[in-house]
Amino acid sequence: MEPANGLKLDYNHALTIKEFPYIIRWREDRCKRCGQCTAVCPNGAIKPTVKYMRVIESGGDTPKPKPVRRIIHVIEQVNNIENYCTGCAVCALVCPNNAIEPEYNPQNKFLFYKNLGGEGYKRGGRRNDPGVSTLDRIKFTRISMLTDPALDAGRHEFRVRSYIGRILPPEELPLKVEDGRLVVDKTRGKFIPPVREIFPIMIGSMSIGALSPYMWEGLAMGVAYLNEVEGIPVVMCSGEGGFPPRLLKSRYVKYFILQIASGYFGWDSIIHTLPYMTEDPAAIEIKYGQGAKPGDGGLLMAPKVIKLIAEIRGVPMYVDLPSPPTHQTKYSIEEAVMKMIQSMSMAFGFRVPVYPKISGTRTSKAVLNNLARNPYAAALCIDGEDGGTGAAYNVSLDKMGHPIASNIRECYLDLVKQGKQNELPLIAAGGIGKKGNLAANTAALIMLGASAVAIGKYIMQATADCLGDEWNRCNLCNTGKCPRGITTQDPKLYRRLNPDKIAERVVEIFKAADVELRKIFAPMGRSTELPIGMSDGLSIDDKAMAERLEISYAC
Amino acid sequence: MPAKKTQKETLKTALHESLISFDDAVVWKDEKSVLIYGNLKGKRVPSRILEEFIQESVRKGARDIQIIADGQHGIGGRIYPQGETVRFTIEGPVGQRCGSMGMFGTEILVKGGVSDDVGWLNCGAKITVLGDVTNGAWNAAAQGILYVQGSGGARCDTMTKHNPRFDPPQSWYFRDVGDSFAEFKAGGIAVICGINPRNRRSVLGYRPCVGMVGGIIYFRGKIDGYSERDVKLLDISEQDWQWLSLNLETFLKAIDRMDYYHELTKNPIEWHKLVPYTPQERRQKRWFKISMEDFRKNYWEENVGKGGIFAEYLDHELTVIPYIVTGEYRRFKPVWANEKYAPPCAYSCPTHIPTHKRTALIRLGKIKEAIELVLEYSPLPATVCGMICPNLCMQACTRGRIDEPISVKELGKVTAQLPPPKKAKPTGNKVAVIGAGPAGMSVAWQLSLKGHDVTIYEATDKIGGKIELCIPEHRLNKEILHLEIERFKEVVPDIRLNTKVTVEMFEKIYKENAFVVIAVGAHKPRKIPFPGSEHTISAYEFLRAINEGKSFDLKDKKVVIIGAGNVGMDAAVEAFLLGATSVTAVDIQKPAAFGAELNYAKQKGVEIIWPKFTEKYVPEEKKIYFKDGTNFDADFVIMAIGDMPDLDFIPPQIHTEKGWVVINEFFQTSNPKVFAIGDVTALGLVTHAIGHGRLLAEYLHGELMHAPITRDLRQRIPYEKIKLDYYERCRATSSLEQEAERCLSCGSCRDCHMCEITCYWGAIKRIEKPDGRYEYVVDENKCIACGFCVGICPCGVWEMVENI
Repeated sequence: MEPANGLKLDYNHALTIKEFPYIIRWREDRCKRCGQCTAVCPNGAIKPTVKYMRVIESGGDTPKPKPVRRIIHVIEQVNNIENYCTGCAVCALVCPNNAIEPEYNPQNKFLFYKNLGGEGYKRGGRRNDPGVSTLDRIKFTRISMLTDPALDAGRHEFRVRSYIGRILPPEELPLKVEDGRLVVDKTRGKFIPPVREIFPIMIGSMSIGALSPYMWEGLAMGVAYLNEVEGIPVVMCSGEGGFPPRLLKSRYVKYFILQIASGYFGWDSIIHTLPYMTEDPAAIEIKYGQGAKPGDGGLLMAPKVIKLIAEIRGVPMYVDLPSPPTHQTKYSIEEAVMKMIQSMSMAFGFRVPVYPKISGTRTSKAVLNNLARNPYAAALCIDGEDGGTGAAYNVSLDKMGHPIASNIRECYLDLVKQGKQNELPLIAAGGIGKKGNLAANTAALIMLGASAVAIGKYIMQATADCLGDEWNRCNLCNTGKCPRGITTQDPKLYRRLNPDKIAERVVEIFKAADVELRKIFAPMGRSTELPIGMSDGLSIDDKAMAERLEISYAC
Repeated sequence: MPAKKTQKETLKTALHESLISFDDAVVWKDEKSVLIYGNLKGKRVPSRILEEFIQESVRKGARDIQIIADGQHGIGGRIYPQGETVRFTIEGPVGQRCGSMGMFGTEILVKGGVSDDVGWLNCGAKITVLGDVTNGAWNAAAQGILYVQGSGGARCDTMTKHNPRFDPPQSWYFRDVGDSFAEFKAGGIAVICGINPRNRRSVLGYRPCVGMVGGIIYFRGKIDGYSERDVKLLDISEQDWQWLSLNLETFLKAIDRMDYYHELTKNPIEWHKLVPYTPQERRQKRWFKISMEDFRKNYWEENVGKGGIFAEYLDHELTVIPYIVTGEYRRFKPVWANEKYAPPCAYSCPTHIPTHKRTALIRLGKIKEAIELVLEYSPLPATVCGMICPNLCMQACTRGRIDEPISVKELGKVTAQLPPPKKAKPTGNKVAVIGAGPAGMSVAWQLSLKGHDVTIYEATDKIGGKIELCIPEHRLNKEILHLEIERFKEVVPDIRLNTKVTVEMFEKIYKENAFVVIAVGAHKPRKIPFPGSEHTISAYEFLRAINEGKSFDLKDKKVVIIGAGNVGMDAAVEAFLLGATSVTAVDIQKPAAFGAELNYAKQKGVEIIWPKFTEKYVPEEKKIYFKDGTNFDADFVIMAIGDMPDLDFIPPQIHTEKGWVVINEFFQTSNPKVFAIGDVTALGLVTHAIGHGRLLAEYLHGELMHAPITRDLRQRIPYEKIKLDYYERCRATSSLEQEAERCLSCGSCRDCHMCEITCYWGAIKRIEKPDGRYEYVVDENKCIACGFCVGICPCGVWEMVENI
């Protein structure tokens, strides 16, 4: 409808600022109008503008009003849902006068309008749920007080190590004694699956493309340092976005897990490089699902497909790169397991462990049982709902998926029933270290039955201060406008990162986690092998959770 | 004997089962010497009893105590300093914690090995062991000396302290020590001589010094690692060596191994020391064995290639940049986009008259130039802008969002007396224009000013078309119109009045001219053929008749007008002026009338009713009937539903659709030499007709001169770019100068220096060019792309663009 005759519309259909998730608090008295905040704002959420102040002055001894016009220049929040303030607080970071910062607005009605244009709200990050996760509620309650040899985490040596790979039970190992030594009896022709010894926390799959080159290289370099200098065998999964040939040909490739997913990006390059490789990778991960967004595929937007990404992924520049939610030629567990595990094992001469990664689901036991029967299946990675992603529909992030704790627990107990709990490692992911408790969450999952855990979002937050959180702060990963330079292909943004510092943080994080894991395992009297499935050491303060996880209830 | 001895002559101490007599166990050799048996007739004296006997002996004056031990705990400790030395000589199997909590003045000589924790929590005793010490020796010792003739077990020297009130504790081991040596050592000096070590791989055992924070360890011989995060391995210094060689002698004498003195002191190079990092050093180290930079250069890039794993794909320098950047590192950059957008006035005006430029000239004091500028756009500014135009420019004017639009009427009116602009040199090109209405006048005016030879053919005897014929005098001052027509005639002299073009004539004109422009307007009134429509009059006929001086007797009559557009309103006003008592305008839809016509008609009292579909007019009844069953009294009915062109003269090759000439975006008909503008293409305002004429003239000029055709394709500036807050409301203005100040200069720099002064970084400069023009430029090396210039520019000139 048209405006009433002679009238111009003003605030019709404009949102109030209270609809927005973050409200900019700007202090005129402190601002010197240097514009650093507006220069760095990643979403154009603040802008300089002009305001007119009308002041009535009255001098002298009697009322003598005199209107005074005062024009001031201000920083104003943009009232436009596209340019919403994400709360990243980079403005506050750069403001020399502490004159500006975003404030979370719990009353916001953001989701009611973040579907303008008929497109569902897409973002990066992970589930927006600031509550306390199950993992964070688990306590370690079995303390060795005089009843067992008390261990000192700082003094005693620990083996905080785990395995990826199918572990044959002793009776199935084709061993014989020769000259008083155990050797493999090759005459029996039995296949010994490849196994890698790893640190039980690995860096989960984050692709080149999702991450900026500086970020990815920083992580990779940190992993290499941990292995080569510190002797901590941390491995890192490539994610689905190809793998740099330089790294593939180097000896460091043995610290990396190559991922293959539904988009198969970069695999032709990897295959071309195979003959030039001097080392095998740590493992191959076949991605079927992602905990953060089950059933939602990936899409690398054309503007992010710069030369680097195009060449590594083996595609033309500036085209959209979709990774569908499903593999296009695999429609059943049998097909998926048989075909993919066989092919990928064969690619590396059956010398490399190959395992699938699925999103947490109530049907994960079905997958597990299928893998348990497959001699080439090296592990099962289950990614829970609190995992992160670079781009997904908000609805997939917030509402789809299964929490990791009970999922890993039921899988482990299922293996126990089959007597195979030490044969097929379970890798847990999704929300580990969500509140910063990396070692505690890891230890809880290990004692529930995981052999190892994978972390993604945590490593970004802890190495590069990724600004995202469960209050939907920042979470701009999908836009390529990451103000930290983590998830962007814009050199002007990612060059804000120093790969050396990222690598240093990786080293610090894993060294600290190593110490902290000992600080948990030592008082529980474990120092030689990981207490996988040692659920008698765990308690939780919720009866229902205790029952579901089959651990004790303590309050 | 000391005086205290009299307190208890004989002491009989009770044990659980039996009594052991002090006198049985303690044999005095002389006043100061006793021999204490730890086993009496095959029966072991409990540790508690032995301790009591020892304390009693000391109280009784014993200073030289020989003990035949039988595994008793803690022998020799806790002897209060007596002002003289109390010596213990212990033989036999010694229990745990021999000499524990020993104090200054106590000297213990063990003639063999001792069990665990010898010298535990020692506070000053000197303990010499002529054998091995087992695990935990010297644990938590704080003062005193331990000499060991043999080796130490595991965890020796752990938790030792140094209280600054006393000398540091010393522990000397002749051979080697076991694993986990000196854990959490916080003070004291340990010396391991490394003679004939049991563990040949390491005289300090496995993983010594974990958690060591104080003290010093001198050792001689091989070691196999130590806690590198806690301590550092150093060569010994001159002072160390002096201290060692001096004290070694005392030690070796004490353990009766002086014969090794030479071997131990022959080569200081054999000796090393372990000292803990200071807290300051610990903080600095951060525990990186190699700096990450070194790792990257010497390991990573060594293996993956120079520049890292992505270097081959990255075309930028592999460096880090800050958050606040200038120059090429900025993501965006500001651009002084002066005149990039069309101001709303010029954009909305079909003739694109740049009002903002005229106000800018006035602000510069160039009033004459400002007034004259309009003649480049229109031959009839005083008539159209000043009187009859609804002024679409003013409707769009941004100033209207503050108070009132810039008054273009005034700017138009003052142009009536202007002389014609100078014509360009004749080009010899001939163009025919059919119709001397506003469209024809406009194109002829423009082409003539550009030097082309224009002939106008006009069917009537007047120039001006509908302006002259149909616009009532209540809206138009004819004097002004005629002034402008005179001026027009000076520019376009060849106007052939009373020349109705026929088919044959068109043929001739077509041949004689480079282009033919059809601008005959629409002069054939449309009528709805309802019963009785033959008794109605069209608005065109009605108004034209009045303008030609005829009159109608409408006194006390009721008039109904079918069609409530602006022409209908003009007719309504005229009807009132002719004495009608009431005028009712009906329409089938929301009436299209607006602006001055509507306002004037409303003032006069016209009643507008819609929707009304006319069914019939019955002149006998003087009633008009509508399809909804209603009727009005109607003495006089005017049909004002628009006019159609009269196109009898055009050849069939020129396509028409529903009576209108079909044109493309350049006003070209299906015959490329023939163009059509104004109402002949579709009904519009006078200003539309003038706009058509100007745009067509530009096109034809380009064609005739083989010059590039420039069209103004600029977008209208978004209103939000204009900063209204700078301006105060002021409705009443009286002069052109004041009016010019009110203009917001949308999208056009008003040279106020606001950007230059606002820029915190001093990145904006105003540069004057040799031709007198100016521009504002950005110093790329100062600008951080904060957007202040964009946000505060009063005129919306600055724009932020991606910095590629």
